[in-house]
Amino acid sequence: MSASMSGVANASTGSKKSLKAFSDDIWKNKTAKINAELFTLTYGSIVSQLCTDFERDFAKVNNQLYLMGYNIGMRLIEDFLARTALPRCESLAKTSEVVSKCAFKIFLNVTPRVGNWSSSQDSFSLFLDENPLSDFVELPMDAAKELWYSNIICGVLKGALEMVQMDCDVYFTSDVLKGDQTTELRVKLNRILKDEIPAGED
Amino acid sequence: MAIQTILVINKSGGLVYQRDFVPNAPRLSSNEYLILAGTLQGIVAIASQITPKSLQLAGKSSAKGGNEPMGSNSAPLVPYMGTLGATTASGAPLGSFLGPDYFNDAFASWNGRGLKHVTTEQNSLFVYHTLTGIKFVAVSTQPTTNAMAVAVAENLLRKTYCLYADYVMKNPFYEAEMPIKCELFDQHLGALVGQL
Repeated sequence: MSASMSGVANASTGSKKSLKAFSDDIWKNKTAKINAELFTLTYGSIVSQLCTDFERDFAKVNNQLYLMGYNIGMRLIEDFLARTALPRCESLAKTSEVVSKCAFKIFLNVTPRVGNWSSSQDSFSLFLDENPLSDFVELPMDAAKELWYSNIICGVLKGALEMVQMDCDVYFTSDVLKGDQTTELRVKLNRILKDEIPAGED
Repeated sequence: MAIQTILVINKSGGLVYQRDFVPNAPRLSSNEYLILAGTLQGIVAIASQITPKSLQLAGKSSAKGGNEPMGSNSAPLVPYMGTLGATTASGAPLGSFLGPDYFNDAFASWNGRGLKHVTTEQNSLFVYHTLTGIKFVAVSTQPTTNAMAVAVAENLLRKTYCLYADYVMKNPFYEAEMPIKCELFDQHLGALVGQL
């Protein structure tokens, strides 16, 4: 795995850097930063406002967060690509590496673990050991069953991957906020949208 | 080399942005620019279909070879242009990027087989396209076939892409695939081209 991983970074950077070093450098030296708490609290106020607006119908809140994330992801992918200029991933394994080591690092400064591959290699899980979105959060009793607090991340991943012609399903399967052991985010690749790959690419 | 025009073409081949930088250069009407953008989209697609036979064969054999890293295709690495668009002197912030420059690594072109560069007797035209299908086009006032000029243009256009990501994509009033009317994008693009 490490050999294929350095392949990605080498093709894009032309140096001997691994993907991890490459994204650490971008995060450290090339990306403007704000206070993480500001971000966490802003997100918290969005979620709490949505819960009020939808009269604590958490299925609707989940859905709305997902849609908001989707719209963010479709735009954020441009930022990600402009920043990194990484080449197209030719396997889902590489995509998972890029998402965890590069995308999460640059935008949220965390590196989720990748694991739980399906036997057909078409789906994997991201384990968010630390989740900056859910700092200071304790779900109220009525929300604990239904609400996926960080559901916006699912939408972002869905939207961003769709813009690079990967049609995926993204959903949470467990969340520490709900009392689970881990926060697990499942990504399942449905198909590559071959027709939409822009002309001129190899 | 002065940049005469920068165009942005969306993934369906429509012109979403056009700007002239040379005040008294010959101009096309906005309709003609739209047609030009559509034509370019078509030509890029055609160019990617008509690869020389030797390259087709080489491509096939390497594909059969299996797990070659993706670097094996002919995507050239564009060297870093330190002076190009660097804002160290002004110290102005680069949007969501930390200075002194947007990036400082060489990078692979996403445009492996499409049209990248057109030279005429008076102008040359450079195309940079992104993984999401957007094309950035620059027209310079000098004919050139120099590989260095292509590299410079590709750097310039990736910086334009960075500006696009910052000031167009993060503008909540911008609708995807629609013409770009973002003042900040105009300003920063003007500054970037002005430094050239």
